[in-house]
Amino acid sequence: MKAKDRVKSKDKHILNLADIVGGARSILYLKEDLVAYDCDGFTIHKHLPKAVVFPKNTQEVAEIIKYCSENNLPFLARGAGTGLSGGAIPLNGEIIISMVRMKKLISVDLENRRAVVEPGFVNLKLTNSISDKGYYYAPDPSSQYCCTIGGNVAENAGGAHCLKYGVTTNHILGLEVVMPNGDIVEIGKDGIPDAPGYDLLGLITGSEGTLGIVTKITVRVLKNPEGKQTVLAYFDRVEDGSQAVSDIISAGIVPAALEMMDKTAIEGVEAAAFPVGHPKDIEAVLLIEVDGIAAGIQEQIDQILEVCRKRNVREVRAAGSEEERARWWANRKTGFGAMGAISPDYLVQDGVIPRSRLPEVLSRINQISSESGLRIANIFHAGDGNLHPLVLFDARKPGESEKALEAGSQCLKVCADVGGTITGEHGVGIEKREEMRFVFTEEEIAAQTDIREVFNPHNLLNAGKLFPSPGRCAEVKKEMKAQAIS
Amino acid sequence: MSVRELDLKQEPPCTSGLGNYLWSDPPDEKKWADCVHCGMCLESCPTYEQTGQEQHSPRGRVHLIKSVAEGKLQVNEQFMDPVFQCLDCRACTTACPADVDVGGLIEEARGQIRQAMPLTGVKGAISKFFLHDLFPHQNRLNTLGSLLRFYQKSGMQKAIRKTKLINVMPQHLVDMESIMPEVKEPVKKKYKDVKVIKATGETKQEVAMLTGCVMDVMFSDINESTINVLTRNGNDVIIPQNQTCCGALHVHAGDRDMGRKLAKQNMEAFKDFDKVIVNAAGCGCMMKEYAELFKEDPEMHAKAEEFSEKVEDISKFLHETGYEKPKVEMNTRITYHDACHLAHGQGIRQQPRDILLDIPGVDMVHMPNSDRCCGSAGIYNITNPEMANAVLESKMENVPDDVEMISMGNPGCMLQMAMGVQKYGRNQKIVHTVQLLDWAYQKEDLIREGEE
Repeated sequence: MKAKDRVKSKDKHILNLADIVGGARSILYLKEDLVAYDCDGFTIHKHLPKAVVFPKNTQEVAEIIKYCSENNLPFLARGAGTGLSGGAIPLNGEIIISMVRMKKLISVDLENRRAVVEPGFVNLKLTNSISDKGYYYAPDPSSQYCCTIGGNVAENAGGAHCLKYGVTTNHILGLEVVMPNGDIVEIGKDGIPDAPGYDLLGLITGSEGTLGIVTKITVRVLKNPEGKQTVLAYFDRVEDGSQAVSDIISAGIVPAALEMMDKTAIEGVEAAAFPVGHPKDIEAVLLIEVDGIAAGIQEQIDQILEVCRKRNVREVRAAGSEEERARWWANRKTGFGAMGAISPDYLVQDGVIPRSRLPEVLSRINQISSESGLRIANIFHAGDGNLHPLVLFDARKPGESEKALEAGSQCLKVCADVGGTITGEHGVGIEKREEMRFVFTEEEIAAQTDIREVFNPHNLLNAGKLFPSPGRCAEVKKEMKAQAIS
Repeated sequence: MSVRELDLKQEPPCTSGLGNYLWSDPPDEKKWADCVHCGMCLESCPTYEQTGQEQHSPRGRVHLIKSVAEGKLQVNEQFMDPVFQCLDCRACTTACPADVDVGGLIEEARGQIRQAMPLTGVKGAISKFFLHDLFPHQNRLNTLGSLLRFYQKSGMQKAIRKTKLINVMPQHLVDMESIMPEVKEPVKKKYKDVKVIKATGETKQEVAMLTGCVMDVMFSDINESTINVLTRNGNDVIIPQNQTCCGALHVHAGDRDMGRKLAKQNMEAFKDFDKVIVNAAGCGCMMKEYAELFKEDPEMHAKAEEFSEKVEDISKFLHETGYEKPKVEMNTRITYHDACHLAHGQGIRQQPRDILLDIPGVDMVHMPNSDRCCGSAGIYNITNPEMANAVLESKMENVPDDVEMISMGNPGCMLQMAMGVQKYGRNQKIVHTVQLLDWAYQKEDLIREGEE
């Protein structure tokens, strides 16, 4: 064995795990390496993992999980680590099972419009691999350049184009999952949709890595729409912008995407790497995309232009070229990262509201902003009411992280209060655990942790995520039981 | 792991350090303040592609660099690994939505590491030989060039290859020897006594030219082509004799003091000129970033910024000032590789392609991921051969099959890609963009002479 393949650790667990994955190149255990894994896209909570292992196949994943579960070691799965709610943060010093080396595109079956991928396969690579044949994979989270499909399944990721095409769960046809005891199970075999029995695919998708670890995914792929056009509209007043959104939907148009950014968000994207030249003094910019049969597109575009004009739009136009369209989207899709250009840190929230309540919600968010003294930018999947308030703060200033968390939580309270909910696509993770109480009673939460217990009875897999820390009654008892067993 | 006592050869000076960065010129806090850990850089990074490991990704590296400043980590060997595994290709800078200067941070962190742990042993000796004893000294480079010429011409090269004597070298050096271009006389020496190389027609302007260290020894024909192309398009060319190596290799290696010394010498050498033309992407990018080296010296910083304005890559210069379109057919299928320090470092992508497409009969085939690093990265392919080879392999997979030439704008890439062609049984010729243009001009002249 070469020197660099040798694991220099006295910890028997590290040595045994290294044996499973085949040596030093597939395990990290020194502090300097582990620091890079102390958080994901959610940076407010940090914790060092015990180790990071890099399995190459399902068998290795199963062996790792079996080992962890037999030795009572907490563990969790991580993809690209772009999650925004902290789902991959090793709160309990977990063994992180990194899925990024399982990144093969296993098969493409265009006749039946499906593809099979390993969980570490990057979202956009799927579209890139089949686009020359006229197909694509619809769910398009903004991080699609680098996030993995495995992570998308865990978080039930959405994206700008989910308004028309649905979120990840609508595109999953089959999963291979390693259960927390090491068993390998297949759900939705052969990718036949709508299998009889309980919808286990629906249960696993979006379970935030608390029920099992996905090792193979069959996804639906779609034929590229024949035509596509995007409209950009600037509004002087948020009210007009959001009324235009409602009008477009009530006119019977189903846009592929309908996005909004507010003034502070515009300031961010314009200061960053992909500026478009949006005016600084407008209150809202809308990005509206329609796709489908080429013949119908112009008619829809005309309708949209008409609606916007009726709502006092300052300027509205359709993209003059594919380059211009791409520039508008690059500007929007890099929106979160762009906040780095105007603030050292940000916390992104993920509320969902009834579209009609937007002006009211925005003004309440403004109020939270002025009360907390922190700026809040809003990026909004306006079509489906999924609002992303970005709380801008500086973690180096004492107390500001806490203030940001508090402001974020208040934003979610507002969303819940107007009849919405606390997450649309980023998941609950660590970030919104407590806010689950805004939308669920203790009993409802306990009912859900009961389900978790069926799959993950010792709660070794990604513990401490998705649900609030135990309240009184049920959770406490369960926790005590779990501890007694271990 | 803590810093080994022995590693601390140099006592940290009493400066106001930053966390565990105890030496002067520490990584710039402002640079990482822009990073919000979004991860958009991950897929752009060749070392992340190879390892899948966060500490070998731009985001991970920035996180570690920041952690040292926060006092969570020490400047030690374990920290050194991710920082020195970086190719410094800058692809992450292009991918980053917030324009985080990851490359700049890496170089500053390397400066700290080198001050904390000066290189010792074989690695130290090699590094010192290349960076201190060879590249900054033109006469020694010339001697090396002469030796290489002798090696090639005398039959020694043949003999050594034949007798397998070459096999005593490590494999990656054998690979490099096998693709060594034919070494000719350096242009700096050739034009030693020529004050101005006059434009062939009417003079439009006067430009100075950086001949470079490796470029002039290994690729003096590219320098010759650059001069031809410049003079043909109305430029008087001056080669200041007191110019030196640009310092990029030193700065990449963390030797920022030497970098500053060379920067000062070059700024002095070129002070009387309005334009400094560079045909090596790595050198051009370094010279455009001299100001980074003088953050703690406002006066030099201002001077360096002014100097950087004058530095221009040959392709951009030609594109902006205009060039004669060749009139003969070259009839060749080529592809273009974006040198990292042109595309990511200087944002120059379209200009060289336009020039190539202006040559009649040049058919350009798109190379997928053309702006992906080839693994050359200065002397990275000597210091980190294993990673460099993995990166090269993935680069070569993207080179289209049916092309005769691969064009690019950086000597390091040219050597590395030539190695790739040889290693993976391909047959493409590696050319510099200006070479193709020059050959077209020459062909045109030959035809005209034949007609006269």
